Parts: sequence; structure tokens; C-alpha cells
Amino acid sequence: MVRISRVMLKEAGNAIDKTLSEILVCPLSKQPLRFCEKTKSLVSDTIGVSFPIKDGIPCLVPKDGKILDEDADASKAS
Amino acid sequence: MALRLLSSRRRLGSIVLSYRSPLASLHSHATSFGFQQVKEEEKSKLVSNVFTNVASSYDIMNDVMSAGLHRLWKERLVGKLSPFAGMKHLDVAGGTGDVAFRIFDAVNSVKRRALRKVDEASIEETQIYVCDINPNMLNVGKQRAAERGLSDNRSLVWVEGDAEALSFDDDSMDGYTIAFGIRNVTHIEKALAEAYRVLKRGGRFLCLELSHVDIPVFKELYDLYSFQVIPNLGELIAGDRDSYQYLVESVRRFPPQERFAKMIGDAGFEKVEYENLVGGVVAIHSAIKL
Repeated sequence: MVRISRVMLKEAGNAIDKTLSEILVCPLSKQPLRFCEKTKSLVSDTIGVSFPIKDGIPCLVPKDGKILDEDADASKAS
Repeated sequence: MALRLLSSRRRLGSIVLSYRSPLASLHSHATSFGFQQVKEEEKSKLVSNVFTNVASSYDIMNDVMSAGLHRLWKERLVGKLSPFAGMKHLDVAGGTGDVAFRIFDAVNSVKRRALRKVDEASIEETQIYVCDINPNMLNVGKQRAAERGLSDNRSLVWVEGDAEALSFDDDSMDGYTIAFGIRNVTHIEKALAEAYRVLKRGGRFLCLELSHVDIPVFKELYDLYSFQVIPNLGELIAGDRDSYQYLVESVRRFPPQERFAKMIGDAGFEKVEYENLVGGVVAIHSAIKL
């Protein structure tokens, strides 16, 4: 029963994710967001910030945004 | 009697002062956490802590503190909104979903009462976004949705976000509500500006908030209740006296009805009105973006 509900949650999650990226915009730049399958986050390409999605809830508080360039540099350095 | 004269004179003085320097009074809201003075940057964190602590007992405390009246107030708010099928609505600071669920029910019951031919598509298109800065509050809301069997319903969308920097497009919402939330925002004018931005032309702005009581005797009783009873209830039921002390203090610090109405007008809204409920204990401010 738990397994079934977990699958349903994930499917619902995926459907929601797609809808979200169509409706929501970046809270800082107000530009459209892109749903990134790999990191399961919403990316604002205009300013290079990604916002996480936790438990199906997108976290679009400005201070929750992760700057993407820094991450890229960090992985290059390591 | 003398005491009342003193307090009213002091109030008059502070009102005069604040009209002279509106910026100063806005600044004072941004740096006040209840009756404490705090740094602007810290206020949102302090408020966030309050709601993380109270999230699980938020609904019960509301019932106890207002003797269940908050339900009627929210009904009135949603009534004023006149929800319709297919609307895009944003409920800000609506974490536990009280207002959102009511709007959802209103839309879906209209469907039931109306002709069965009516637009199944419109019902599908109805979107109610619940935005809250605190994830704990949103989780309580999602849980309540699940209890009502609405977890998979596409009409309700839960988003974590900041009222001062909304993640919604310009001119995208038919309605915007904020119930018992604007008091907690650091920069009220930013929240109002964002509300104006996301609303479509003809969109309605509605704010339900604890406000100021002017009626003699009743005011004193209300003060007594606020400062003597509520923090104790908070300790008893939520195990958190400080958060509820903050709550009653923040109500006193929030601009009174007329000044808040002016702020709403300054944000660009028209037809700004307010209705006092229970002698001003709560007020519903409404406006339209034209």
C-alpha cells in the first residue's frame, strides 16, 4: 500500500512539475523557469539560479536559490 | 478616565508624527518584531521561526483564540471574493490552506448547483495557488488536502515563496487574498506592490487582518484578552508563549485601518474599502486593480 502510494506520489509529482514550470516565474527576474529533470529543480536561466522542489513543493523564496555558476566552478576545481 | 485621555493623546501624537513621515513609519514596521526592535534583515527569520514553531497547532489555536470566529471571518472573505470556475487565484501566506480550501469548495459547489452542461473545462482550469514562506505551514496544508482526498487535484498548487518577491507572472491572477499574513511581512509596501503586479486588470485584492479597535471599554477588554489570555493559551496549547506574545504585539504595531487603506491605494489599487468585523478586531480590506 505504501509502495503504491509512493509511485502515485511520484507520478503526480512529475505531472505537477511540468505544470509548475509553465506557470511559475523566477521570483527575482520574473522570467520563465525551466524544469531540470536531472536535479529535479526549477532553473532560472536568465540569472543562473536554481530553486529546489521539496516534497512536490517548489521553494521559490529568493534566498533558497542556488547560484548555478558557482556549482559548475566548484566541480571543475575538484 | 484620565488614563484613557492620556492614551488617546499619545495615540494622536504618534498618528500626527507618522503622517508627517510615512517612510519612518514604514521603516518602523520593517524593524519591529512585536514590541521589540530588530534589524530589518532579521525580521523575516524571526517571523519564520514563529511559524515553524506554531505550524502544527496553528489551526487549533486559531479556533481557541477566536472562539471559532476566524472561520466566519474567512467565509466572509471568500464570499467577498466571489470565486468563479476557471479563475486563477493566489492565496498568499495561506500555508495551512484555510482560505484555499474554502475557495475550492465555493468553485466546485457552484458547479454542482449550476446546469450540468456547464463548462467541465472551466472547472479543470481553476487554479488556486497557495503561497507561503514557511514550508512547515505548507506541509500542514498539503496534509489537510490529503485528508480531504485532494492530493492529486490539479486545482490546488502549493508553492513556497516570499510575498515580497512572488514567483508569478505579471497580470496572471484573477484574485489575490492574504489572510492574517500581511502583518508578518517585513516590507508591507513590497507585498502590496507584488500583489498589484500579479493581478490582472479587474483583479480583486482582499486582505483579512487583525486590526485596531477604537470602541471604548471594548478596546480595554480586547487589550486585556490579548495580553493576559492569549500568551497563556499559547503556552498551554502550543507550548509556546513567546510566539503568541509576538502575535498580539504585532497586531498593535500594524498600521490602523485607514492608514493601511492608504498604503493599498499607494500601490496603485482603486476602490479601496475596508469592513470592520467585531468592532475592528479584524478588518477586511478590498481593492481592485483597474
